[in-house]
Amino acid sequence: MISTLFEIFKSNMVQIPLIQPIIDYLMQIPLINFIVALILWRPFFAVVIIPGLTVLLLYLLYIVWFERKLTARVQWRVGPLEVARPIRGAIQALADGLRYFFQEAIVHKEAHRPYFIQLPILAFIPILLPIAFIPAGNVVGIKSPYAVQLVVAFLALIPITIIAIGWASNNRFAFIGSVREALIYVSYEIPFIIAVISMIYLYGSGDPYVAVEKQSIVPGAIMNPIAFLVFIIAMLMATSRLPFEIPEADQEIAFGPFVEYSGMLFGLVMVLAYEKLYVMALLFVTLFLGGWSGFYCELLGDLNAPLWLFIKTIIVISILAIVRSMYARYRIDQAVRYSFSWLIALSIVALVIGIAVGWIV
Amino acid sequence: MKVEKISRSPLEELKRHVGVIQEAFKQAVIPDRVTIEYPRERRKYPENLRGFIVLDKSRCISCFRCAQICPANAIQMSYFENFYPGIDYTKCIFCHFCVESCPTGALASSTLHDMAFKSLEDMKVKPNQMMRLPATIREDVQSVEYDVTKKGWRLIRKMELEDIKVVRILPKLKPRRAFCLEPESCLGCRQCMEVCPHEAIVMERCEITLEGQIVGKGCVLKITEKCVGCGLCVRQCPMKILSLKEVE
Repeated sequence: MISTLFEIFKSNMVQIPLIQPIIDYLMQIPLINFIVALILWRPFFAVVIIPGLTVLLLYLLYIVWFERKLTARVQWRVGPLEVARPIRGAIQALADGLRYFFQEAIVHKEAHRPYFIQLPILAFIPILLPIAFIPAGNVVGIKSPYAVQLVVAFLALIPITIIAIGWASNNRFAFIGSVREALIYVSYEIPFIIAVISMIYLYGSGDPYVAVEKQSIVPGAIMNPIAFLVFIIAMLMATSRLPFEIPEADQEIAFGPFVEYSGMLFGLVMVLAYEKLYVMALLFVTLFLGGWSGFYCELLGDLNAPLWLFIKTIIVISILAIVRSMYARYRIDQAVRYSFSWLIALSIVALVIGIAVGWIV
Repeated sequence: MKVEKISRSPLEELKRHVGVIQEAFKQAVIPDRVTIEYPRERRKYPENLRGFIVLDKSRCISCFRCAQICPANAIQMSYFENFYPGIDYTKCIFCHFCVESCPTGALASSTLHDMAFKSLEDMKVKPNQMMRLPATIREDVQSVEYDVTKKGWRLIRKMELEDIKVVRILPKLKPRRAFCLEPESCLGCRQCMEVCPHEAIVMERCEITLEGQIVGKGCVLKITEKCVGCGLCVRQCPMKILSLKEVE
């Protein structure tokens, strides 16, 4: 049984010439070779190492600090600094995470206890599942010709868990936050899906491999700039970033649906939006910025594609982080009106362009 | 006040968006922040900073001028050997009238401005605590200087540390002495003699009887070389016949 599994793992391993001697040495030791083979097994490597859980964690540590620091600089403040001064407070998010971990998670009397505790963990399913479908070159969890559609479908599930969190919290702010989340959900999901469909028409397939192959000369952002714009705005709305930070709205409803959470549970729900942003940015890079294609380094072998995908994603998210300090928050009616008039109109234009360009190409 | 109507044309809106993005990226790269990281950086203070007040006991002549002039009533004269001022920092407003009014330059300002006290009682600083600067703990590694021009602000950071020093400006007064303007009006009350800290006023002859009848020319005071011109007798005199005059 173990030997069969070992053979399966061994037949489909990630090839990295840089660390090949170490792997060859480790493969001779019994038991350790099984673990090494499991880690380097392509589906496992894609889901757990890169672009999966491990780099997702690193990204979270980075983006929380980076966003706070960038916003602080624009607003003439200093930002997080006291934790590890020599690197300008770069491990602030790690310190906060550790503190959340050891803090008491209070469940108040009126909350619906089972759902209140379950939902932050359940919310991770629709966030982590898309990562299995997003390929990075040869490193892929589950190969599917409908990967783009699947990712969009899973992304559409996340707001439902957030609304359920607000309901389980049984708090007036959480109720308001849930209703706002539902309104924003309705308003961004339609243009977002239409923008993705326009790109699927453009490439003629929902397969990321086909999409990346067709972008080998011109990236999708230039082939369909309107869809690019709509996707960015929908991404800002979906992850409740500042111009559309309506469901969370710190100053009005104190973090909206997550107002009652504390301790580790708060740590889990706080990073939900950042993780959603990560998944959406992965999809964005795949559809518009040429995915994992980039300068090929011989030494890294199979690691090239995931690294390029990750670097592009990080750059996209870092640029999006500055939007937070530029614009004021829209009112709820403004945001809904804006998305149901301009955004849907733009997305339909994008759809027409997508069909036209797809027909030419 | 009339508010101008904002143009809503798409071109203007786009221009504003571009301006916002430009400004945000500029600030993200080179922020215009003018704050300093206080305990680790220390601002370079000007020479005339009004800080902790230091007392030079040997110069003090116990003239009470500092206590008289203090607008916050923060100075309490306490006695050891002689009367010396002690400052209550719960009341002190750092106007430094006391420093400026001191005729001998016994009080001086220092560039120490950030003091910490353990309790409210400790804030009433005794004269013997004022004779030297309090113990300091320095956490700063560099000093910052504000360079203010008409164009804007700029911070100049240097790796050198500022010393906490005492700035003693000696008053440029000509030596003055008390003089009696109308000896015939003198009551012979001798309050000036009692108040004089240097025993400079001597009664030459008194022609007033104990019942108050004037015999002859009245009372004649002699003001000796010991007078430093503190003016205590001038303030004390009930007939206001004493005055300060400059001497060569």
